[in-house]
Amino acid sequence: MVGAIDINSVIKKFTTDDGNEITALDGVDLNIKAGEFISLIGPSGCGKSTLLRLIAGLSTPTKGTLSMDGAGIEGTSYERGLVFQNAMLFPWLNIYDNIAFGLKARNVYRKHKERVSKFINMVSLAGFEKSYPHQLSGGMIQRAGLARVLINDPKVLLLDEPLGALDAFTRMNLQDELIHLWKKEKMTMILVTHDVDEAVYLSSRIVVMTPRPAKVEKILDVNLSYPRVRSSSEFLYLRTQILKILDYAGKTEDPGYFI
Amino acid sequence: MQIEHVQKFFENKVFILLFIVVWEILSRSGLVNNLFLPPFSSVLETIWQLLINGSFSASVLISLQRAVLGFVVGVLIAVPLGFWLSVWPRGLQMSIWPLLKVAEQANPFILFHVVILFAGIGEFAKTIILSWVCLWPILFSICDGIKNANTDILKVGASFGLSRWQLFSKITIPMVMPSLFTGLRISAGYAFFLLIVIEMMGSNSGLGWFVLSNQENYNIDRIYAGAVTIAVLAVFIDFILKSIEAKLLSHQYPEIIN
Repeated sequence: MVGAIDINSVIKKFTTDDGNEITALDGVDLNIKAGEFISLIGPSGCGKSTLLRLIAGLSTPTKGTLSMDGAGIEGTSYERGLVFQNAMLFPWLNIYDNIAFGLKARNVYRKHKERVSKFINMVSLAGFEKSYPHQLSGGMIQRAGLARVLINDPKVLLLDEPLGALDAFTRMNLQDELIHLWKKEKMTMILVTHDVDEAVYLSSRIVVMTPRPAKVEKILDVNLSYPRVRSSSEFLYLRTQILKILDYAGKTEDPGYFI
Repeated sequence: MQIEHVQKFFENKVFILLFIVVWEILSRSGLVNNLFLPPFSSVLETIWQLLINGSFSASVLISLQRAVLGFVVGVLIAVPLGFWLSVWPRGLQMSIWPLLKVAEQANPFILFHVVILFAGIGEFAKTIILSWVCLWPILFSICDGIKNANTDILKVGASFGLSRWQLFSKITIPMVMPSLFTGLRISAGYAFFLLIVIEMMGSNSGLGWFVLSNQENYNIDRIYAGAVTIAVLAVFIDFILKSIEAKLLSHQYPEIIN
């Protein structure tokens, strides 16, 4: 099986416009096995997305190494597909051309033309091929964004809060679709989220990160079988565990200040 | 549906029609001396007579030809230049920016005299000054388009493992198109506007010359005929560009249609 990601003592520093140095990641170690469903969870701005972009190859670490199946990650590749929060479909292309984009860019469109309709059907967008992104709902756009990446047959799917902007019901539907997809295609999934429920519902392992500068605070195994029941006691126990680590489990007294 | 269409057409034009009616009334009633303001209807009649007689349509054609030539040369220089500038390192871009802004502000009418020194008073000088004026709005619209571009969309492109050239042709160009068209329309307007003045400054053909020479001969009817023709052509040129823009971009960017 392919799609294992190794992250070794990765440090990432940024220099802001006014010259301050910010440490986004401060020594992250993480070994992700092929075919795992990993969630990265942590307070907002903690550097989860930074880590995901490093894995994608969109930026390079200040120190440390990242590798996929033993080979160092240099630059981007369609083998590590990245799905953004707002899907970021190309507004000048219709749904068909958006989904076919990767094939055309790699000059394999003629050979794999039938894949386009296959993936359009898979994300239930048949009949919307000629529509433009602005004509679709948020859930449809996100599904199209997913298909646009999946058509390239990635070994690793990097999900940067892909469901964050959706309403609760659409979100739960797409969570089920993600699990279905993961089971079928057997790829490695790395999901950045700040929704604890989502992390517990989907992942086989949950990586809790510290506030900035981010490190791995704790890694929790989720030994629950799929499909998971959101109200089961194991589910709720795990959920509470994570909230406790993140210090959001609830307060027993007033915060002492009010907005 | 039909009625709605007609209604919409008149809603858009009602104030133009009103303007023409007031013009007609002012002149016919004698409120304004119709020697200085001939009625709109007789201006139209003058245009018609001029068109039949032949030499006027030659003036219209030569003006259009000059405007189009200057515009096209301006586009051919500005588009590659704009994209090329945008790949310069950011510091260098910042330092060239003030020079470009000063160049844009240079008064084209004064510049025309300088151009004449080098290129004589013929067609070449007119093309140079027109393309100079067309250059800036297009150049800046491309640079702005790229500067304000959604960097996340570029990251999406990059995450597909695209090469630099693919990123440019498949992402940057389509992303800049709406902004580029704004620049093109401003330039086309400038080109025609400026051309008329330049034809008045040094030319013996074209619409600007036509208006000036009739002014010198006190052919007031013909001054108005020239002015109305120029206005109609300017609207027409903008209409053509707007239609092309709508045809090319309206699917993707619904906000363009209005």
